[in-house]
Amino acid sequence: MLLQQVVNGVMLGSTYALIAIGYTLVFGVLHLVHLAHGEVFMIGAFIGLYVVLWTGGGVVPALVGALLGTALLGVLIELVAFRPIRARGGHFLAPMISTIGVGIVLQEVATRLFGSELVGFPHRLEPVTFRLGPLTVTSLQLLILGVALALMIALHVFVARTRLGMAMRATAENLLTARLLGINTTRIILLTFAIASALGGAAGVLVGLSFNAISPFMGIDMGVKGLAIMLIGGLGNIHGAMLGGMALGVIEVLSVAYLASSYRDAFAFAMMIAILLLRPQGLFGSAEAVESRV
Amino acid sequence: MVRRGLSHALVLAATLSLAAGALSPAMAEIKIGVLLPLSGKASQYGITQEVGLRMAEAELEKLKIKGEAVKLIVYDTRGDNPEAINLTRKLIHSDKVLLVLGPFFSAECEVAFPIANQGKTPIITAAAAKPGIAAKNRPWAFRMALTSDKLNGPLVDRWQAANKGQIKKVVVLTDTKDAFTKADGTQVFPGVLKAKGIEVIDNISFQTGDIDFSAQVTKVKGLSPDGIVVVGLYNEGGNVVREIRKQGLQQPVIGALGMSEAKFIEIAGPAGEGVMVVNPFWADNPDTRVAAWVAEYTKSGKTPNNAATLIYDSLFITKQCIEKAGVTNQPDDLARDRERLKDCWTGVKGYPGITGSIAINADGDAVLEPFVLVVKNGRFELVR
Repeated sequence: MLLQQVVNGVMLGSTYALIAIGYTLVFGVLHLVHLAHGEVFMIGAFIGLYVVLWTGGGVVPALVGALLGTALLGVLIELVAFRPIRARGGHFLAPMISTIGVGIVLQEVATRLFGSELVGFPHRLEPVTFRLGPLTVTSLQLLILGVALALMIALHVFVARTRLGMAMRATAENLLTARLLGINTTRIILLTFAIASALGGAAGVLVGLSFNAISPFMGIDMGVKGLAIMLIGGLGNIHGAMLGGMALGVIEVLSVAYLASSYRDAFAFAMMIAILLLRPQGLFGSAEAVESRV
Repeated sequence: MVRRGLSHALVLAATLSLAAGALSPAMAEIKIGVLLPLSGKASQYGITQEVGLRMAEAELEKLKIKGEAVKLIVYDTRGDNPEAINLTRKLIHSDKVLLVLGPFFSAECEVAFPIANQGKTPIITAAAAKPGIAAKNRPWAFRMALTSDKLNGPLVDRWQAANKGQIKKVVVLTDTKDAFTKADGTQVFPGVLKAKGIEVIDNISFQTGDIDFSAQVTKVKGLSPDGIVVVGLYNEGGNVVREIRKQGLQQPVIGALGMSEAKFIEIAGPAGEGVMVVNPFWADNPDTRVAAWVAEYTKSGKTPNNAATLIYDSLFITKQCIEKAGVTNQPDDLARDRERLKDCWTGVKGYPGITGSIAINADGDAVLEPFVLVVKNGRFELVR
C-alpha cells in the first residue's frame, strides 16, 4: 500500500518536474519568472491532441508536433511580449507582468478555439499496464519518468558542455559582459525561450496522455506548482527542479492517502514554506546565488 | 424625408397602440429571465442547456403565447454565486420579468432563491439536484429536476440485483468540492446504502478539478470492497473510473447523477463499460417524441442531457401557465401575474414533457421517473 502510494507520488512528481524544468531554464538565464509557461504547456497538449486527431498518428508525432509548435510559440512570446518591454528598460517586474498578460490571452484564445470542455487523447493510445507483484505502473508513467530524467541530463550536458550552453551561462551571469565578449545575447535569449517552451509543450502532451484531462485551464494549477517547485529546488537549478517535483508529488499523494484530498494543496504548500524557512536558497541552490540575485 | 416619414409612422403606430390599449389591454412582449453559466470553467454545463432553451425559443417564435412574442433575457452567471445574486436582482427589479429560469448550480440556487422569494417572483432551476434547496425557499422557488435522494434508491436496487445480492460492503468516492456531489456522497448515498443493508467501509474524497486520482484508488484497493460508488461530475468521475480499472480493480461501479452523461463515456473510454448510473432522461429512448427531439437537438453538434430537456420543458410549462392562469402581462399587474404563475407552477401535475410525465410536489421539487442505465458498447442502455 505505502509502496504503491510512493510510486504514485514519484510518477505524479515526474510530471511536475517536466514543467518545472522549463521554468527553471528561463529563470536561470534571464532571471525572469515566465508566468505564461503554464499556458504554453496547455497549448502543447492541444497541439499534440490535434496532431493525433488529424494524422491518426501516435505518441511520437504528437510529441514532435508539440515540441516544434511550442518552440515557435516561445519565440513569438519573446518577440512580442518580452523583447520590446525589456528594450524600454522599465521596472524589472514589467516583463513578468507582460507574461501574465500573454497567459491570459493564450487561455482565452484556447477557450475560443477548443471550447472549455475537458478532452482526452483517443483511447487507442491508452498505455499498457504493468503489474509487478502488488505494484501497478503504466508504460506511460515510465515514459514520463524517463523523459524527465533524460531531459534533465541532456539539459545539464547542453548547458555545461556545449559552446552554446556556455554562452547561455555567460548570458545568465552578466548580460552586458557577455555582449562585450562577443556573444549574441539577443539570440541566446530567443533560444532560451524556444527550448523552455518546447519542454513545456512536450510536458503538456505527456500530462494530457497520462491524466486524460486537456482543457484551456490545465495550465493554471500546473503552472503554480511548477513555480513552487522551482523555488524549493533552488532557483535556476535543473537538478533541484527534478527533485523538487518528485518531493511535491510524493507529499501530495501521501497527504491524500493519509489525510484528505482537500488538504492536498494546503499540505504540499505548507511543506514548501517549511523547506524555504529551513533552506531559503532551496534544496540545491547555493547561498551566494541567492544573494547575487537579490 | 425618409426620416420624417419614419417618425410619422412611429407616431401613428404609437397612437394606434395607445388607442388599442384604451379599448382592450393589449399584451406587450412576454419577458422571461434566464440564468445560465455560459463562460468560465463551468460553461460546458450552461452551453448544453442553452441549446435546449434556444430550441424552445425557436418554437415559441412561431407558436407565440396568447399571440404575443416571447422575449428571453439570458444572463451569464459564470457559475459564480455573487454574480447569480446580482443577476437575479436585476431580472426581478430592473428587467421586471414574469419569472426566472435558473440558476444552474445548487450553490447558486442557495443564494439566488432567497432573493427571488423576497422579490415575490417565481424562480425555477432546471438542474440543481441538491436536496432541500427549493423546500427552504417556499413558496416562490421550484426545482425542475429530480433530487438525488429519489434517484439513488432505484439505482442501488438494480445494482444489487445485477450482482445477485453480493454487494455487502462498499467504498464511496466523493467529490467534496461541488455542493451537489458533496451532499450526495456524504449524506444521500450513505443513507440509501444503509437502508438497503449495505455497509459503507470508507468514504474517500477528491476535488472538482483534480486530475490525479491514484492515491484515492490505491486506498480503495487496500480496502477490497464488494463494489465502488463514485460520486462525481462526469470529468472527474470518468477519470476516477479510468484509474480504478487501470489499477486493476474489477469490482462493479455505480456513478452519481453527474456521471450519467455521454461525456462520461467519452472520458472514461473502455473503462466505463458496465458502470451503472441513473437519470430522469434517457437520450436513446425509442419513444418517437423523445427521438425526434433528440434528433433536432443533435443538429447543434452537441449531445443532449437532462438539463437540456428540463429547461425546455420548464419553458413550455411556463407557456401553459401563462395561458391558463389568466396572466395579463400589464406593467401595473406584474405582482399579480407573478402570483398567478407561482400558483400555477405549484399545481403542475401530469405534464407530458420530453423528460417524461412531470409533477411538482409540496417541496417545490419535480417528480419524474428515473431511468437506471448501464454503459454497454459505448452507449447507455436501460436496465430493466
